[in-house]
Amino acid sequence: MNGIILLGIVFLILENAVVPWLVPPAWSDRLLPHLTFVLTMFVAAFAGRHPAFLFGLGFGMLQDLLSYGELIGPYAFGMGLLGYLVGLLAEYRTFSVGVFAWVTVMAGVLLDSIVYFIYNLFRLTELSYAYALYWQAAPTALLQLLIALLIYVPVRRYLAKTSSSQGEDSSE
Amino acid sequence: MRNKRLFILMIGLIVFIALMGVTLGRTRLTWPEKFASDAFGTVQSVLYRPVGAVADFFRDLGRLSDVYQENERLRRTVAQYTQDQIKFNLLEADNKRLQEELEFTERQKQMDDYRYLIAHVVGSNSNPYEKTITINLGSKDGIKPEMAVRTVDGLVGLVSKVKNFTSTVTLITNLDTGTSKGTPVSATFLSKPDSFGIIEYDDETKALLMTKIDEKDKPADGDQVITSGLGSLFPKGIIIGTVKSSQVGDFGLTYTAVIEPAARFDHLREVFVIVVPEVDEP
Repeated sequence: MNGIILLGIVFLILENAVVPWLVPPAWSDRLLPHLTFVLTMFVAAFAGRHPAFLFGLGFGMLQDLLSYGELIGPYAFGMGLLGYLVGLLAEYRTFSVGVFAWVTVMAGVLLDSIVYFIYNLFRLTELSYAYALYWQAAPTALLQLLIALLIYVPVRRYLAKTSSSQGEDSSE
Repeated sequence: MRNKRLFILMIGLIVFIALMGVTLGRTRLTWPEKFASDAFGTVQSVLYRPVGAVADFFRDLGRLSDVYQENERLRRTVAQYTQDQIKFNLLEADNKRLQEELEFTERQKQMDDYRYLIAHVVGSNSNPYEKTITINLGSKDGIKPEMAVRTVDGLVGLVSKVKNFTSTVTLITNLDTGTSKGTPVSATFLSKPDSFGIIEYDDETKALLMTKIDEKDKPADGDQVITSGLGSLFPKGIIIGTVKSSQVGDFGLTYTAVIEPAARFDHLREVFVIVVPEVDEP
């Protein structure tokens, strides 16, 4: 688990320092991938709902702190909640690559929707929901899917290894 | 079991709404917030600037063919500047003499002597409703909340949160007066110093608007728009952009102009924080 937290911190730094440069200027306010959220999905799918909840809450809070302009909390709330829900789903059925891809896209759109509604609630944005969905949430979710598929094999292998070894520890 | 989960979710919702309410519109930060932001900001700066340099290099390669035309245009501008410099020096000397004759106080004389602090951008975040950038100057360098920030091209934003070694800058695209935390930016035309308008940002068309322009000051396409410094946080004389088109406003009594921003708001590397001279308390 320590390794994945370290990876989370690295991803958070990459998200703020490197990703903005990789996105072409014309798309810079449409493609805003949340790398730590992708990682939360992995934790939820392959390590259980409670670690996913804490992971999402912690990194969401960090993300909120770093981008603090108006308020703290939307991402902490959204990522914690979605981490828990996806973790719950993963307990009913095991995730194949296809299911995982679907869940990542859906949860990505849901996260952006939650954040949108929080900002709308505090009257900090004037955009209509349909526009936010089309302009930002949908392309971002697809990019997140691409990133998730790119890191799928190593991260899953790592999580499967550590969670199985933890399982052995607890059974002893 | 199900009820317990729902109960916890409700409690969590209430706690988060309370947290957001408390953090909304606060200027002071507690030390854990400052520490986390400073730590991440420092590490980010190691990555953001080299990556930016490489990215800019490749973009410049793509624009190599435009350099000739740009050079031509710049040469013309420089010729214009040397002309204006002579005029400016005369006017400044005149102005100083008149100020002395009218017995301006020291504070009044220094009101327009802005200091510029150069800052490196160390990060930009992925929150679509709160576009902020992080710069590598903080309260230790004399940055205070609500200082204006510009690039070489024009106005970019306003310092919103100050940490010890880094600060966050809210971009002017986020200072929309239509939202609950908007800050009005008052503007004027460079050629008509008495004109007045308020800058707004239209999220859906991605354009800056200058509204509430008086009937007498009909905007012409290509007019330069600068901050007026009237009744707002921004010092005067910072370029905002040029008028792209204009039409009669909502009630037919005012004009609304669409403005092409002079500065771009993404892929920033260096910005200037404008320090307005301190007003000495009497």
